[in-house]
Amino acid sequence: MTIPGKYLAVLFRLTIALGLAVACSLDLSFRAGAQRTLPPPKPAVTFQEVNPKQSGITWSHNNAHSPERHLPETVGPGCAFFDFDNDGWMDIYLVNSGSADFFTPTTPLKNALYRNNHDGTFTDVTEKAGVSGGTFGMGVAAADYDGDGWMDLYVTSYGRNILYRNNGNGTFADVTDKTGTAAPGWSTCAVWFDYDNDGKLDLFVSSFVYYDKTLNVLCTDDVNRRYYCIPRYYKPTASRLFHNNGNGTFSDVSKSSGIADYPGKSFGAVATDVDNDGLMDLFVANDTMPNFLFLNKGGGKFEESGLAAGVGFSAAGRPRSGMGVDATDYDSDGWQDLFVANIEQEFFSLYHNQKDLTFTDEPGEIGPATQFLSGWGLRFFDYDNDGKPDLFLVNGHPDDFIEMRNARVKYREQLLLFRNTGKGFENVSEQSGAVFTKYFSGRGMATGDLDNDGDLDVLIANNGEAPALLRNDGGNRNNWIGLQLIAKQSNPGAVGAVISWQAGSLKHSRLKTAGGSYLASHDPREILGIGAATKIDNVEVRWPSGKVDKLINPPINRYLKVIEGSTIIPPK
Amino acid sequence: MKQASKNRGTKISSFRRLRRLPGWFLPLLLMMAFCSVPLTVARAQQSKALEQRLEVVAGLIRDNRIQEAEQQLNGILKVAPNDVRALNLLGTVRAQQARMGEAETLFLRALRIDSDWIPARMNLAHLYSLKREPEKAIAELKEVLRLDQSNTDAAVELIPLMLAQGQLDECINLIEQLKSSQNVSASLLITLADSYLRKSDPDRAEENFRLALAKQNDNADAVLGLAQVSQLRGDNKTASSFLARSKGLEVSSPDTLYRFALVALKSGASEEANAALQQAVKTRPDQPAFLILLGVTWLQKPDLLEAEQAFRRAVQLQPDNAQAQMYLGYCLLKQKKYPEAREWLQKSIENDIGTPESYYYLGLIAQQRNDDDQAIALHSKAIQLLPAYAQAHVALGSIYLKLKDYPKAKQELELAVKLNSDEPEAHYNLAVLFARLKDPQRAQEEMRIVEKLQPAKSVQSTEPGAATSEPKPPE
Repeated sequence: MTIPGKYLAVLFRLTIALGLAVACSLDLSFRAGAQRTLPPPKPAVTFQEVNPKQSGITWSHNNAHSPERHLPETVGPGCAFFDFDNDGWMDIYLVNSGSADFFTPTTPLKNALYRNNHDGTFTDVTEKAGVSGGTFGMGVAAADYDGDGWMDLYVTSYGRNILYRNNGNGTFADVTDKTGTAAPGWSTCAVWFDYDNDGKLDLFVSSFVYYDKTLNVLCTDDVNRRYYCIPRYYKPTASRLFHNNGNGTFSDVSKSSGIADYPGKSFGAVATDVDNDGLMDLFVANDTMPNFLFLNKGGGKFEESGLAAGVGFSAAGRPRSGMGVDATDYDSDGWQDLFVANIEQEFFSLYHNQKDLTFTDEPGEIGPATQFLSGWGLRFFDYDNDGKPDLFLVNGHPDDFIEMRNARVKYREQLLLFRNTGKGFENVSEQSGAVFTKYFSGRGMATGDLDNDGDLDVLIANNGEAPALLRNDGGNRNNWIGLQLIAKQSNPGAVGAVISWQAGSLKHSRLKTAGGSYLASHDPREILGIGAATKIDNVEVRWPSGKVDKLINPPINRYLKVIEGSTIIPPK
Repeated sequence: MKQASKNRGTKISSFRRLRRLPGWFLPLLLMMAFCSVPLTVARAQQSKALEQRLEVVAGLIRDNRIQEAEQQLNGILKVAPNDVRALNLLGTVRAQQARMGEAETLFLRALRIDSDWIPARMNLAHLYSLKREPEKAIAELKEVLRLDQSNTDAAVELIPLMLAQGQLDECINLIEQLKSSQNVSASLLITLADSYLRKSDPDRAEENFRLALAKQNDNADAVLGLAQVSQLRGDNKTASSFLARSKGLEVSSPDTLYRFALVALKSGASEEANAALQQAVKTRPDQPAFLILLGVTWLQKPDLLEAEQAFRRAVQLQPDNAQAQMYLGYCLLKQKKYPEAREWLQKSIENDIGTPESYYYLGLIAQQRNDDDQAIALHSKAIQLLPAYAQAHVALGSIYLKLKDYPKAKQELELAVKLNSDEPEAHYNLAVLFARLKDPQRAQEEMRIVEKLQPAKSVQSTEPGAATSEPKPPE
């Protein structure tokens, strides 16, 4: 089993570039020894809340809570894991409220950029970076839209969005006007993906309701207390699709693409390929309206197919309050399945792909567990590195008065973690750490390996409160390999790439989706879990360009950079 | 079979109640026993001393000095072993001691000596009631009435037993007979009216409720009964006015509260029904029918957890109550707790094979398990039992939709719409079908119907996701 010299050289470079911890290899050898004698039962993987005093993340969200109960107050905020300075470590971005027609902050509010100090602590570099926002912020989507190797930021807002271009020197420039991506109105989630496979990242922006302070509807309970109105009272607006022209500008193709034909009240959006045609589709959650499944028909056209696909409405034909979404192939049948979280008593839906552009709702254990929850941030990710995507749910009711109207429902709600057993999802929240007994006003949620230890950590952005950073403890007890996909011909995010890996009898495959969760942006690297296997036979990356790169017997428990077209290992 | 389960529960509860209230039971038995004091010439020949001793014994029993009473009776029976009065009193003592078998033997021995002797027969009927042998109790009470047509006590005792046994016509005849021969009480008239209600005879029911009301103008049962009559006639306006009138009356009896809840629920006042039932259940926590109806009101709220608790308590009280099992299964199904829902629905079918809803709900669970063949079989069974079961046709349609058998899907869904054009799920599934058949215009038309049929709700706590239709509230 020899490793070709070219490959070895690449590995060496990566080890230096990504700052691989030596402890990782030591830990591996210790475990290998232990397995030879008496394998102890594996302790549960847990998530530990990182103390803000230790992390230095002292920023808190201000939701602009007012007696008038303006709807934007209850919708944010979002958050992101991204590496803004290319040091190989995930930094953090948090979105805050700001001035709006219904809100004038008494003290200046700002978004926050925290640089990862590589030791579990973070430094606030917002001012220096010039990304403090100033709008009534909602969410964030990070991507290298101009392909210069540096991650840029798109911040959505009630009002006007901001595109921050990364200058590559620790600072950003506001290029919103220059790029034409302000998208005035009320934007929520944003997704960077390449809908026309031209190698450039385009931008989808979810648009919520038509709103300004004069349109605020008075909703009161039976004792005349004002509460946040259900969005049914507000008019829908069309989401936007921007085509990346490749010259630092974008064209608004909302109309020509067909996206603007469907006004919605859109929140979560995920780009995925539900029909395996190599074109990225969009699944968009709508609140009090049917969800959209925009099928990418090629030629820059999308066709809305939510009704026919069975993902638009509840089984009873009712539109629900869709908020967070994600997509994955949870049952390894080669087809992307969808997930949408709704408001309490509507249940969340796990839509299983029937391989013919139809879906059936098969939530299993997730159904009863979410009966009284309202779900926002959510993500399929393999928290225990067994190779199968698990599901993490962040919840919280939008109405702070809900407990007065319904004793069964809380304003702050618990997190949920479901482990993919291969036969379905098992609720493992109780054994996964004390944080699952806590209550959050959760909204945005991002995943990322903040300590580069090979398992995914979680960042939760809470409404009107401090964020919660959850460290994954034990996910890396199973073996893994981390990939950073460096596109050369495909889009810079490698969105749409299909990664397959085999370790003995274990075979897995993953489509690199974009967006997902709610108002959030995730660590773009891919961690491939291989369970207890001690070697990976091969990894294949099928790029959106059509190129295929193969890694034979790559080393495990470390990150590798896979450069499109340059790491092809010839078959034996 | 459902009826039998219900009866059994009623008897258990009566038995427990009586066992907890010996003070009620004792005087009644004593009264029966005391009626045996000799009046006839033959009995007058017996010694006055024996009479006096028997009176002393009766006093002892009344004072709950059972052991002393037993000693005295043993002494008397040594002297007069065939004295029916002593045998009757000793039977009473044994019943007090919960030695029911011996009590029965003693009452029967007294009746063998004098088969026309009513007190022993009344006691025997009581005993059979307590032993949950209603058929035997009914037979004894009928014999009493054959011997003495004017025996109101026997009639009053017989009527609820016959009603519980479903002997509606006999019950009606009996009360009508009493009515023609004497001035019957308001409660008996209400029982008669209820019997007519059960026979779907609103005119006779109304007549007797009004007679009861004439006797007692604040009788809430009569007022509510008139509301029930109006509901039976489909006259909701009048029903509401009677319901409103009943609210001004003082109601404490759990049975009346239950009746109020039935009326209120049918009038759409499920909150009031719920409050009344909660009050009724506080007083009578052992009545499964109350708990089932309480659960139904929680379902309508909707509070599925409270509903689940109520149904669970009902099945605890009556483990083979098919209706309670069906409701519990349905409630769990609504919460997507499919494995347990399935267990209860299967139990429900084991106890009552004739309820179409149980098959339909099980069919929905089979759909969730992707067991399409089983789901089709279960929905088909539901339809076999109730051919006009629109929701079951919708469910079949949705399965065929999933299986891409569009002609069959269309057939089932259109049939569902024909059976119930207000069924939104049928229209929704038709919309999905037309969307898949690339007929967006018809799909939109169907969705417009769905929107009309599903009025927007004003608050954020909304509908359960499962495509289920609630079972009808129990009558």
